[in-house]
Amino acid sequence: MQPLEVGTRVLCRWRDGKHHPVKVIERRRLHTGGPNDYEYYVHYTEFNRRLDEWVRLEQLDLDSVENDVDEKVEDKVTGLKMTRHQKRKIDETHVEGHEELDAASLREHEEFTKVKNIATIELGRYEIETWYFSPFPPEYNDSLNLYFCEFCLTFMKRKEQLQRHMKKCDLKHPPGDEIYRSGTLSMFEVDGKKNKVYGQNLCYLAKLFLDHKTLYYDVDLFLFYVLCECDDRGCHMVGYFSKEKHSEESYNLACILTLPPYQRKGYGKFLIAFSYELSKKEGKVGTPERPLSDLGLLSYRGYWTRVLLDILKKHKGNISIKELSDMTAIRAEDILATLQALELIQYRKGQHVICADPKVLDRHLKAAGRGGLEVDVSKLIWTPYKEQG
Amino acid sequence: MSRLSFRPRPLDIHKKLPIVKSIKDFEDDDTPTSTRTQMLRLVAEADNDTQVHQVASKKTVSEIPTPEYVIVDTYERDYSPTFNQPASYLRARGARAELGDFVEYDLDNEDEDWLQEFNKERLILPAEKFETIIFKLEVLDHKARERAGVITPTLGSPIPVLLTFDAAVEALQALSIQYGVFQSIYSYWKEKRERWLKPVLRRLQPPPPVNDTNPYNVFRPREKAHRLHTRRMQRRENNVQSFEKLRQVRRNLDQAKNLLEALIKREEKKRDVMESEVSLQRIQMKYKNETELLEDSLALPEMPSFPQQSKFVSSEDEYLESDDFPLHNNNNNNNRIRFQPHGLMDTPRVIMPSGVGSMKRDIRRRPVPYSWLHKLDPVEPLLLFTKPLVAEKLAAVGIVPPPPPSGGGGGGGHNFRGRIGRGGRIVFDRWNPLMHTPIECGGDSLLYMPPKPRSSTHNSSFQ
Repeated sequence: MQPLEVGTRVLCRWRDGKHHPVKVIERRRLHTGGPNDYEYYVHYTEFNRRLDEWVRLEQLDLDSVENDVDEKVEDKVTGLKMTRHQKRKIDETHVEGHEELDAASLREHEEFTKVKNIATIELGRYEIETWYFSPFPPEYNDSLNLYFCEFCLTFMKRKEQLQRHMKKCDLKHPPGDEIYRSGTLSMFEVDGKKNKVYGQNLCYLAKLFLDHKTLYYDVDLFLFYVLCECDDRGCHMVGYFSKEKHSEESYNLACILTLPPYQRKGYGKFLIAFSYELSKKEGKVGTPERPLSDLGLLSYRGYWTRVLLDILKKHKGNISIKELSDMTAIRAEDILATLQALELIQYRKGQHVICADPKVLDRHLKAAGRGGLEVDVSKLIWTPYKEQG
Repeated sequence: MSRLSFRPRPLDIHKKLPIVKSIKDFEDDDTPTSTRTQMLRLVAEADNDTQVHQVASKKTVSEIPTPEYVIVDTYERDYSPTFNQPASYLRARGARAELGDFVEYDLDNEDEDWLQEFNKERLILPAEKFETIIFKLEVLDHKARERAGVITPTLGSPIPVLLTFDAAVEALQALSIQYGVFQSIYSYWKEKRERWLKPVLRRLQPPPPVNDTNPYNVFRPREKAHRLHTRRMQRRENNVQSFEKLRQVRRNLDQAKNLLEALIKREEKKRDVMESEVSLQRIQMKYKNETELLEDSLALPEMPSFPQQSKFVSSEDEYLESDDFPLHNNNNNNNRIRFQPHGLMDTPRVIMPSGVGSMKRDIRRRPVPYSWLHKLDPVEPLLLFTKPLVAEKLAAVGIVPPPPPSGGGGGGGHNFRGRIGRGGRIVFDRWNPLMHTPIECGGDSLLYMPPKPRSSTHNSSFQ
């Protein structure tokens, strides 16, 4: 039989045993087998690209191969008429969370990141499936698996190399200053200029789990805040966020990531809260760098909702958006967007008012989810970064 | 959907907004439809993120599926529990590369395969040693390239090996490796370098150039030191341009200084002039008073013993010979002073227009000190601080004396005397209010004062 062409849409059996629609992104010949034996890199159109993977022919339901008829349909939401392909592209863009990229950047981004190069990595206790392509040096492109030293983040292609490395590597925590310790949770600040190789390693690693992160420029101008859980084996990274040393757009966070094995435990929310605590200490208002990923945006909306609504519940008298901003270090536009999305700002009798009915607020707070691990500001020992010399 | 009844003004973030605790406040307002349209507007105005939020939230009902992970079974063995957390927060020590001893290089697949082949028959070379040697070869080669001055900031052309075999042997004597083994290692490493065209130790690999657009190449350096882009920052740039600018600033400041100094001098001079005028006026006033007294005394035949008078008498001996002409001249000259009637009495010399020094010589020219006194109209009103009229200046601003009437005589028509009164006004006196005589005025000169008839008695008093 003929191999499938790139771009074919077909149903494919996913890890849940059910068939899902996919689009073929890439294909390659199998080492074993005949000239027509391929494996296919597919994208599940219902899901984010991080679930793309290489599949075998047997997972594909060949009867479901689509005829490429592009008929006219009407989009129910906007009432616009378009072709089926156009409509599909729009829907899929929503799933990807790519709205904030313009069409040209999106194409360019997808072009060179379309196929994951590294499939799994080993980092400390866990072997983790990767989500996205990461631009490792070309000599690493032939490897499906990479092995990272948990502490200095050096990456190697074979397990034996890692084991040999661990015998000489005496680092037991990130190479920076510990600026926060509460219980077993520690935060380290690493300067990209002083620990360049570590910074680059961290970026290579993080890119495997972040779609829009760019490694175009060097790490000199960034600070890395690495969150760790500590035990008798050392301080183990669970997540991190990066921050520009000098941001012209007052970004207080560039990239944020909780490693997959540690997600859904409140570390992401801790990282967000921590970034605002640093902003408060600097006396500056801050906002995360855009675009935010779908998970990132959810987390931020939750954080903003919790912080703002807690204040509104307790506050007596009037309050301005600017005051809220000064209290929380959250940018006024973000406050406005959050309150408007929750429909808490109304226009009554010629002026804006904030609706703060306790029942309504509690409903929103419940939907926003619990706060993550709390930041105990008394345990933060830190002064804002100053350029030296 | 009903029509919007009004359009809300944009929200001012500085304005205090009332916090409304109860929903009922909303319900009993206007029409329900305006609330609905309002909510719709807000939803429409909210940015895209809101829509994504709504779309994504549908998906989070069933969790966002994410890739998976498993536990590594050899973990406990590979990572030893030897970490002792100090009570105080950990401080960074220098990056390991700086400290020198740590072997930054890790054998890669190629190295391991080669080593395996090399050690096929027996273990000649342990892996750790092999790793250490390659690391040191890399560092030595980097130093050799540094000394030769060929280190490039970014990756351009292929980077050659400059470390010779002999230099390597010598430098790494302390490692005590067999010559033959070392030779093999060196060849392997050199060949690898020639394939890679760049150092094998990642830290020593230069970054890609800034203009490299290949998206697979990462960690480019910024074009120039990226510091906070403030104007102060730009001014601090240490280059020829800013040096020239500073020079110019210095020149400007010097010029400004000179200007200000000149200004100060001018104002000081003005002040001195003013002070001189004021003292002049004061003295004139003072001596006007004294003159009256003096005249009274002079009218008497006897000479009262006024010290001043005697002074005059004595000095006047020199001035016996005088005729009208110079007097007249001097009168004209003194006219000026006449308008400031109180000249300086004690030193009549001062009022003499021609210098002070050679009085004894040029007697003729000297006015009889008293004669001018008599020229003074004793009942003339005190004209303090008046200034004479200067015909040319007046003509320049369009003030000219009226032409003499066609019919009348030359001197007859307009008899008036002009002066500049207080406040800068021009005052014309036609009638001497005190003498009750018309003011004789002839010709063009407004300054002309007909000489007063001198009584012989006055003159004779000198003799």
